[in-house]
Amino acid sequence: MHWLSKKKYKIGLMLPTLLVYCIYIILPIGIAVYYSFTKYSGIGKAKFVGLKNYIRLFQDELFWSSFKNTMAMFVLAFVLLLTLSFLIALLLNNKLKAVDFSKALIFSPAIIAPIIVGIIWVYILDPNIGIINNVLDAIGAGALKHKWIGGEKLSPYSIAIIYFWQQLGYLVTIFIAGLKMIPTDVLEAVKIDGANSIQEIRYVIIPMMKTTISTVAVLIITGVFKIFEIVQQTTGGGPNHLSETLVTYSYSQTFSSGDYGYGMSLATVTFLISLVITAVYSILTREKEA
Amino acid sequence: MKVNKLKKVLSAILVGTLSLSLLAGCGGNSNETEKDESGATVIKFGIHVANPAEQEPVTNSIVEAFNKANEGKYKVEFEAADTETHSKNMKLKAEDGTLPQIFWIEGSEASEYSEAGVLMDLTEFLNENADIKEALGGMEEAFKDDNGQYGLPYQCNVQGIFYNKEIFKQAGVEYPTDDTTYEEFIEMIQKLKKSGVTPLAIGSKNSSFAMWEFNEFLARYGWEGNIGNILDGKDKFNNKELLACFEKLQGLKDAQAFPENMATIEYFDAKQLFDEGKAAMFGTGQWDCAEFDENLGDKIGFWWGPKFSDTQAEQNIVMKVPSAPIGVSAAVADDEELKEGVYEFLKFYYGEEAAKLSYEGSIFPATNYEGVAASDSQYAMNAMLDALSNGWASPQAAPDLTVPSATQEALYDGIFGVLQGTYEPAEALDKIDTAAENSK
Repeated sequence: MHWLSKKKYKIGLMLPTLLVYCIYIILPIGIAVYYSFTKYSGIGKAKFVGLKNYIRLFQDELFWSSFKNTMAMFVLAFVLLLTLSFLIALLLNNKLKAVDFSKALIFSPAIIAPIIVGIIWVYILDPNIGIINNVLDAIGAGALKHKWIGGEKLSPYSIAIIYFWQQLGYLVTIFIAGLKMIPTDVLEAVKIDGANSIQEIRYVIIPMMKTTISTVAVLIITGVFKIFEIVQQTTGGGPNHLSETLVTYSYSQTFSSGDYGYGMSLATVTFLISLVITAVYSILTREKEA
Repeated sequence: MKVNKLKKVLSAILVGTLSLSLLAGCGGNSNETEKDESGATVIKFGIHVANPAEQEPVTNSIVEAFNKANEGKYKVEFEAADTETHSKNMKLKAEDGTLPQIFWIEGSEASEYSEAGVLMDLTEFLNENADIKEALGGMEEAFKDDNGQYGLPYQCNVQGIFYNKEIFKQAGVEYPTDDTTYEEFIEMIQKLKKSGVTPLAIGSKNSSFAMWEFNEFLARYGWEGNIGNILDGKDKFNNKELLACFEKLQGLKDAQAFPENMATIEYFDAKQLFDEGKAAMFGTGQWDCAEFDENLGDKIGFWWGPKFSDTQAEQNIVMKVPSAPIGVSAAVADDEELKEGVYEFLKFYYGEEAAKLSYEGSIFPATNYEGVAASDSQYAMNAMLDALSNGWASPQAAPDLTVPSATQEALYDGIFGVLQGTYEPAEALDKIDTAAENSK
């Protein structure tokens, strides 16, 4: 195996993967960025229009409403998912009754296709046929009925809750795996030193789980910027694009309006926002480590 | 040394093979004549539904009949995908020159395909088949530009409002007539609402295209006469006539004509409300006739929509218009054998036998042949034929199909925005103007 350890052979072995990465990741991003500077309907030749699409984008109310919705979902999902999935993982890492059953139950939404998740939640949140409003009616609390989806205000928050429900089990599993990596002798030593549970979490578990926490955080950030099927299935971005996320709005402009150039400028900006947030998070957590 | 060299060569071969296999999928050309096992020339037909036998049974039966009549000579095969996927696929195929020989085109995109030069001019076909040209009766005119006859109507669309006679009777509401006014329509909606049913079923989720009943509104506010000026920049969508039209849409919202959850239901859910007798009216076209025959039988009625008194535009208008077109790939012109096969199919598709098959499936064909009509048990289609017997004129094309796709999408958004109360009429029209400006 000696020849494998030589640098040039390593490069040779990495080449197929790099090639696939370049063709399927880097090249499409490059193409999308190129089209974002053009006017293109998907048919015929693209016409170079410089920054016109980007100028239009910053003047587009629906872009800002999609941005606002995405950020609302991001904040809600980030806070809820990061804290609750960590706390649930701590709980399930103990030897409790029915812990395996609980793990399976919490993980189960993660194995359901997002499109089915959307359908399930339509039957829960729909203002007319949804369980919530019907139960509220049945118990005489009709005044609390709302347009959880399909209205002008609550849809983004409802979508964030659905995303939270879908992702929780998956992230809990990652945290549990991280907790299992902490050496038991360290935890035992902490207990012998007299630390209580809060101190154990604060001074031992969290610092030792930093890599796992960072991984989960990046997964949440990138995941929120990819929420698509849930929106399509619950509201279709409506009414009138008011519940669009950046990615669904980009899709709608590209494929429904046939405005590929503008759609690609939305996709490019979405990509950059997600990149910036991930980078900022990485820098902030790295500083703390230093 | 020899082993090292061999490893290097093997590595290079592996990398090369992988690269080539990755790129292989990008090549290929479907314009070469393809034969099936019986030696028949295969003609690909790109269609906008995933399952033609279930979702476009009439077209499917026409294709089956053609294949049977031309066994061993020609065989038409579907390239089927749902509308959105089909539309995306056709654009990609137009780019790399692999369009199917015949394909359904989204109405608002047809002229863009023509301008891109990927469609064959069918003038020669029509000149060679005068009987078909006569049977089309001018319906082909909607798909003609400087590049020639770039498409032919896939079918004929008759659009309007179906109503459930039983629900009307139970609510004590008179059936609408050709002379029913907008004000009477509002009264009708209020009475129906009081009786506990949804007056007019409609869904906007992922189906903003489902606004066919409002094409009649647009037409009765002079759309056809003014759309050229608007698209040329001489007028705006936010003009006096269209503002009045959109205010009427707002009036329907104020009268609570629609389901409360219209934003979270799709066209199919709305249709189900009508099928199940939970809604009194439903706007659609002849493609739903067979379903209504099955679910509602002779309880079905059909109406063009209300007349308006605050406009000078013609009110005696019906909506019998060409549907989205089918086009032929320009590459077909370069292959005589394929061209002959495509012409044979088009002759069959627009012939009398296919027209009969269409009527049997409750679909109006694009052609008109004497003696071809619906049977007595085709209640919904007969209701439409009754409505058509008034002899009123129809626009050359449905209003929503006369604008480019981005403007069309803004028109749909504007209409549904007003219906759902998210936009004021003037605001909705301004947004359409902005979209039209952006698409220039």
